[in-house]
Amino acid sequence: MTSYERALALVYDAIDVINTQQPAAMRLRKSPDTVIVGVGGALDSLGVVNFVLTLEEKIAAGGTTLPLLDDDVMVEHSPLRTIDSVSRYIAEHLV
Amino acid sequence: MTPAPQLYLIGDFNVDTFARYLANTALEGARVEVAQPSPVSAAFAAGPPGDGWTAFVWTRPEMISPAFQRALNFEPFDNADVIADVTRFGREVVGFARRCRAVLLPTWIVPPFVRGWGVLDWRPGLGVASLLARMNLALADALGNEPSIVMLDANRWMTTVGGRGWSQKAWYAAKSPFTPDLLQLAAADVVSAIDGFGGRARRAIILDLDDVLWGGVVGETGPLGVRIGGHDHVGEAFVDFQRALKALSRRGVLLAIVSKNDEAVALEAIDRHPEMQLRREDFAAWRINWDDKAGNVAAVLAEMNLGAESAVFVDDQVIERARVQSALPDILVPDWPPDPSRFRETLESLHCFDAPSVTTEDRGRAGMMAAERSRRAAAAASAGVEEWLQSLAVRVAVEPLGDMNIERAAQLFNKTNQMNLSTRRMTSADLAAWAASPDNLVLTFRVADRFGDSGLTGLVGLHIADTDAQLVDFLLSCRVMGRRVEEAMLHVAIAQARTKGAAALRARFVPTPRNAPCLEFFRRCGMREVGASEFMWSTGDVFGRPPSVTVA
Repeated sequence: MTSYERALALVYDAIDVINTQQPAAMRLRKSPDTVIVGVGGALDSLGVVNFVLTLEEKIAAGGTTLPLLDDDVMVEHSPLRTIDSVSRYIAEHLV
Repeated sequence: MTPAPQLYLIGDFNVDTFARYLANTALEGARVEVAQPSPVSAAFAAGPPGDGWTAFVWTRPEMISPAFQRALNFEPFDNADVIADVTRFGREVVGFARRCRAVLLPTWIVPPFVRGWGVLDWRPGLGVASLLARMNLALADALGNEPSIVMLDANRWMTTVGGRGWSQKAWYAAKSPFTPDLLQLAAADVVSAIDGFGGRARRAIILDLDDVLWGGVVGETGPLGVRIGGHDHVGEAFVDFQRALKALSRRGVLLAIVSKNDEAVALEAIDRHPEMQLRREDFAAWRINWDDKAGNVAAVLAEMNLGAESAVFVDDQVIERARVQSALPDILVPDWPPDPSRFRETLESLHCFDAPSVTTEDRGRAGMMAAERSRRAAAAASAGVEEWLQSLAVRVAVEPLGDMNIERAAQLFNKTNQMNLSTRRMTSADLAAWAASPDNLVLTFRVADRFGDSGLTGLVGLHIADTDAQLVDFLLSCRVMGRRVEEAMLHVAIAQARTKGAAALRARFVPTPRNAPCLEFFRRCGMREVGASEFMWSTGDVFGRPPSVTVA
């Protein structure tokens, strides 16, 4: 399994958790092009915070600390923009 | 159809994430609303959004008691100030609860990393842990007699998930410190409480025998050869599981058996094995044969007068679990672990038995079922129904609604399905409010016979205005149906209506999927059917007491 695939699996795990908090029609699709942060995203601000914190915990459970809830990350061209971009970002930082 | 639950969340921190999880997963389909951010006391003063709402009130101890905040800061504090703060909060909760269907409150906890005074933290008058325990006890004492309020054990949630239950980062970022793992446990308790208040707690557990109540196959090992007890960790696990089941039966949950076995051999093991914790008299019903299990489960449910939605089925065989679940979709069939050492924890992790109150009738239910078996045996031995009814010597005691019986009366409102004229679901507070009207009268009925005391099992609610009396509620537990108690209740209701000056007693049947037996009774009892499901009796005519029943 590549680093990207491992990262994608972690993101999908986090989405499973967040989807339990979302109405059926607004659940995140487990697809690389799904938008998380920004225009077209299904999550509101609390949803984004919950998603990011959940993802941080999933990453930490594997032994890596990767702060994602950070001003440098939560920007317009954020690596959190889509499932694909956040997975690439995590893959770069996974030990 | 059961109305969707309505849950109103009030917190002194951000409870939106919890509301979302409840609305979209744990209580999908429910109406869930969150109080505007404000002090909890302001939300109490504003009241719930409308009638019939259950409130969930989640607070932090330091917000309720400034004196506790001082304790957290290691500043001097007075124990009495803390308890006074808690008592004041308890009074506010009680006042608010009168405007709600029910109120649920998690116990107070502090973040798991708070060590207080460390090794001194349980020292009275000093430690945070000691003080927090006193606060929770004081709150429980302040709320103790309120039947519509329950405290939920947040400490158990935190203990179960460990440090993973609290995220300090989530607190800083969203003022919502509890993680999804902890919220899932909290939601399970909320669902249990709402089900309990709605009369949907499960009331029976139907068990397989081989590799469930004991190890091994009794048909092969013989009655005394099954694995239970002894100096054996597996045998000990089965003993522990049976003890947990016996304890559950003392809460009012009925035990039953459905097993593919030779009945005589299996019952001999239950009767004679020295280590067996559950004996024949502990079981309300059984079907031990080689027939299809789904059919046997249905037969056992019919014998206990319960629907599938009231029962849990436990079997070690996946295929049997799937068969029963498929045939009876409403029955709860938990995944059952293959390892007997996990049986007890699996049983105790089931939330479905939680009822919001425990009455004398609940505690004595297993004994009542044993009496029912004796009754059936007597019926089989008697020459006819009338002779059997005479031999029972049924006694009915009529009592007005009061503090001593209102909890059980409310339970009847929420649990009775078959002999239920209008199927109004009411909390004890709703019932007390309805009964307080001078035009309304609630009578309860205790039933006993020569085989035992069935307790408070019947109720009528009358609305009397001028010369007309309306039979609003007519409830009788299925446990005593068919012993002419129905007629005795109607006899009393009509006599009361006459005494109060009513010229006629009217009854309007409100159909549900389960109360056809009630309609059948009203159609055969002699009342005149004056419209679609409308019945009438002129109080000038005496509605006779059934000769086999005495009424006091």
